[in-house]
Formats: sequence, structure tokens, C-alpha cells
Amino acid sequence: MKRKKSLNRKTVLAFIVLSVFFVLFVKLIYIQIFLHNKISHSVGRMVNCQTVEVPKRGDILDAKGNILATSVKKYNIFLDPKIIEDFSNIKDVLLKNGIQVKEKNLSDYGNRAYVPIAYDVDSSVANNIKMMKLRGVGFESKYVRKYPEGKMLSNILGITDHHGNGLEGIEKTCNNCLLGNSVIASTYRDGRGYIIQNKVIDQSKICGQNVILSIDRNIQYIAEQELRKTFEKYQAKKAICIVQNPKTGSILAMVSLPDFDYLEKIKDLKVLRNAAISDIYEPGSTFKIVTVASALEENKAKLSDTFYLENGKLKIGGHTIRDDHKIEGKVSLSKAMEMSSNIAMIKIAKKLGVNDFYEYIRKFGFYSLTGIDLPGEAKGLLLDVKHWNALTLPTISFGQGIGVTALQMINVFTAIANGGVLLKPYIVQRIGKYNENDTQENFHTMEIRRVVSKETAYMMKKILKNSVDFGTGKSAKVMGYTVGGKTGTSQKVDHLTKAYSKKFYTASFCGMLPAMEPEFVVLVIIDEPKGRSYYGSSVASPVFSSIAQSIAQYLEIPKDDISKNKI
Amino acid sequence: MYKSFFFILLLVISFFVYLWQQSTSIRFAYKISALQSEYNNIISENDNLRLKINSMLALDKMYKIAKERNFIVADEQNTVYIE
Repeated sequence: MKRKKSLNRKTVLAFIVLSVFFVLFVKLIYIQIFLHNKISHSVGRMVNCQTVEVPKRGDILDAKGNILATSVKKYNIFLDPKIIEDFSNIKDVLLKNGIQVKEKNLSDYGNRAYVPIAYDVDSSVANNIKMMKLRGVGFESKYVRKYPEGKMLSNILGITDHHGNGLEGIEKTCNNCLLGNSVIASTYRDGRGYIIQNKVIDQSKICGQNVILSIDRNIQYIAEQELRKTFEKYQAKKAICIVQNPKTGSILAMVSLPDFDYLEKIKDLKVLRNAAISDIYEPGSTFKIVTVASALEENKAKLSDTFYLENGKLKIGGHTIRDDHKIEGKVSLSKAMEMSSNIAMIKIAKKLGVNDFYEYIRKFGFYSLTGIDLPGEAKGLLLDVKHWNALTLPTISFGQGIGVTALQMINVFTAIANGGVLLKPYIVQRIGKYNENDTQENFHTMEIRRVVSKETAYMMKKILKNSVDFGTGKSAKVMGYTVGGKTGTSQKVDHLTKAYSKKFYTASFCGMLPAMEPEFVVLVIIDEPKGRSYYGSSVASPVFSSIAQSIAQYLEIPKDDISKNKI
Repeated sequence: MYKSFFFILLLVISFFVYLWQQSTSIRFAYKISALQSEYNNIISENDNLRLKINSMLALDKMYKIAKERNFIVADEQNTVYIE
């Protein structure tokens, strides 16, 4: 009887417990299944939020992996006076982190809900403030573009706008690769405002790709230093220097002065211009290699040919063409180049003929874009062959009456240096993902066309070497090395008189080192040097010499002129 | 009787296991979020430090320091190469 009673009690107790759970279970089913849509919709509105994950813009690196441009996360800090509880505490915390709040009282802000108090604050400082969990202090993160090398390469790297879009230079050309992909990230916010990520975003997948240039930071610095000295010394209007690898066509350094400093406000937009590819100039005597190479290639001239130089004066179409160095009697072709004779060039070009000469000018890449991966390239100026008059061929033969870019000019010397092949110059060497080892795109040497045979190129290199050893380019010599090159001094057109000026000149020198097996080619242009000296031989050649000396030392190029260690 | 009791008990236990798993996943979500933001902070701090290093090693700055301290490029004849 007792046993039966106890069994009944247990059954009742179990029944009660199970009933309670059953009721709870039924309620849960009701909430989970029947009220699911309604509740999840209202909860979703409260807890779900979407944020745009802005990707980090890719870095621009030099050939050795040094950072030339990068983006860092910075914060703008703002106050929301409407929800601030302890203003003095906020002021103290901000002050400890180096941020001063000007207003004394909270009421000074009036009815505003957004008061920015500090811009571009470092992430470490922002994190310190965040950790204090101050009510009414907000943070806006953004990426700021930084250029650790300062002024260096400013014309090449270019600039970005406030939204991080490239406006000039590499920043513009490679904008699509550098940008990365914005991602809309959905997050959950709990009752206390804590955020739970719905999906972990792999930053490496949304970040912009890195752009690796062919520029070598050290060579760039050498070129920039030396060029700046001369640019300032002669108070020139512009100065350009390009260093190119003749074997690949890659640009090792490119300097255009005046340039700009990223830390200073840009007052004149002209400084953004990359004169090395955008500005055209009359090359003067450096162009003579085109005349001579074309004639040698077409067998219209030989190294043994001699030319009568008309005692330094030649009348053509009512104009008198003069040689700077008066040479009496006849001289060989090589000697004519050494002494940079205009009259000899006219005679050689005449032998070649108008059509062939024009064809070779185009073949060498003039009046065409080189296709370099930089924005704003000019193709130069060249009168159509149909419109050439009696004076066009003679003047172009010594580099006047034609407009070329510095890049076109050095590319011609590069073609001669590598044995006669015109190469496409390039500055972007590789485009890789966020991880530097993961390369997506490689840019290789691209041959445009063969312009002259190896034999002609070899003869030209010899002529250029003699030009430095015995001719106008003596001041371009480099101790311990053989150098080949050509000076150039061209008259500029005076825009007032619309005639060639006797005041304004462009001095240039383009050369290669070592002379017969060149490792690099350097072009130096000084535009409108002030003072008595304006010749390529006295203004530009010494700059070449200093740059070439330092680069040869840096690249550890073996000395090839041991017999002449002294200049 | 016992069979149904155990069945209901199993059902209840499963339900609590489900609840425990839900709360654990939320705890993990908090932890992952915290770690993710810490990771992002470390990356951005790393970027800042990399920038600082590169700015300090900028050639122009090095040149100015060298100039201030009267450093000169060693003459080739005075350079000894140790192999």
C-alpha cells in the first residue's frame, strides 16, 4: 500500500516536471516556428548593420623593394556633444594623448551632434582613446597616402585625390591595380553596442595590388642630386635626366625639375608635369646620331668618307648655317661628329635624301609615342615630309626644326647601345598582390623594331666614343671607364620674335657607359641655363660625368679603361 | 513509463545542448571579432612602423645627416675590401 502511494507521488512529480518542460517546449516551438518571421525581422533591424570596408591602396615599390608610396590608416576624431556625459574627463584623456579641445564647456558646442576635433591621428593614439570607452567620442578611419622619400620621384609617382584616386603619374596609370575592391561587410550589434563580425574579411583579398617599378631608388637619388646642383647653379628653367638600361629598355631613373614636395601645398600645377615625357625640345647635335646612323645603314656614307666643311659657313635658301668649331679643309665623318659639324650633317642628309631621312626619323621612333606606362606622353613635332622646304632637311639633320621628347631621344641612344634594336621603354616592372611574393603580372622587354644593323650600331658606338675621347664631349669622361656620347646645344625659339633666340638655349648630353658594351645610358638636359656658359659640353656633360661615375661605382661595373685612369 | 521519461529527458537534454552550442558560438563570435580587430590594429600599426622606418631611411635625410656630421665618400684608394 505504502509502496503504491510512493509510486503515485513520483509519477505525479514526474508528470508536473515534464508538464512544465512540455509547456516551455510548446512555447518555444510557437516562438521559433510561428513567430519566427516577425521576431527575426524586428531583431534584424535592431542588430544588423552594414559597413563598407575600404581597401588599403597598394604600395608603389622600387626595383629593390623599397617603399616609394604607401597608405596608412589614420583616424579623424569627433565629439557628439549631445551624448557626452563627462566632458572634463574626455578633455583630460584627449589631452593626455596630445589632442587639445579648445571649448571650455559642453554648452559652447550649441546644438551640434558632430564636432571634429583632430585629423589624421595615428592608429596607436586612436586605440588608446578607444580603450577608455568614452561616451560621445567617435572615430572615423581612413587611409592616407604617404611618400617616405619626400620630393624624390614626385613627378613620376604623381598624386591622389582625397578619395584615394590617382590623378597623376604612376598613381594614375596604375590606379585600377592599386585601388583594390571595396566590400560591404555585414555585422551584428548586441544590446551593449558590441559588434560581432558576420564574416571575417580577408584584407589581403580586398587590398590593392603593389606596383613594383624598374626605378632604382639609389640611381634615382644620384641622378636627382647631381641634376639639382646644376639646375640651381645655372638657374635653369627646367632640367631633365633619364637613366635607361639598354639591354631591357627599363627606366632606372627619371628626374624632371622643378619638382614638388608632398609635404608642401602645390601652388603651381606646372610642377606636376613630367617634362621628361610631356615636354618637347629641339635636340640639337644629339640628333646627329640619327643622321649618321641612317646614312651608314643605307650605305650613303662610310666612315672613311671625307667632307669639305666650307670654312664653317654654308648658305642654304637664303640662310647661313654655321659651325661652332671652324675646321679648314676636309675632315672624315668621325672627325665631323667629334667636332659636331652642322655642315657635314647637311651634306650627309642630302646624300640620304628627303624620303629616306624622313623614314629613318620615324623608324627611330620620333613623332610616335614610345608607349611608356606613364600618363601625358607627347609624340613630338615633325613636319610632314610633303611640306618640307629647302631648309627643313638641312636643319633637321643637326637637330633643329624637330621637336622630340627626352624619352624618345634616350631611346634612340639605347637602340644604338644594344646593337640597333628600338625597345619599348617601361617603368612598371611588376604588378603583384598585397603579398609581395604573389606576382600577378610581369612586364618584359619588348622590341619595337630593328632600326639599324649590329654593324652600324657598332660603328656608331665607336663614333660616340671618339666624340668623348677627342671631341666636344671631353668633359663627360669618367675615370676608369670608356664613355660614348654626344653633346647637344640647341637654340630655342623666342616666342616674341618667332625666330631662333640668341639668349635661350637647351644644353644636353646623352651618353653610354662602357662605350662599346653599355650597361646604362644617361641623358641630361638643361633648359635655358643662365650665365655665359650654355653649351652642352660645359653645362650638361659634367653632370653626365658625375652621374655616370656614381652609377658605375654603385652597379660595380668593372673598369674597362685602366690605361686612362686620369682624366 | 520509464521509456517515455527517458525519451523526454533526451529531448530536453538535446534542447539544452542546442542552447549551450548557440551561446558558445556567440561567445566565439565575440572572441573572433575582438581578435579580428586586434589583427587589423596590428596590421595598421605595422604599416605605420614600416612607413616610419622608410621615412627614417629616406636617402635625402641620410644625406643631410651625413653632411651635418661631415661624412665624405671614401676615396677608392683608401678603401680596403675585406673578403
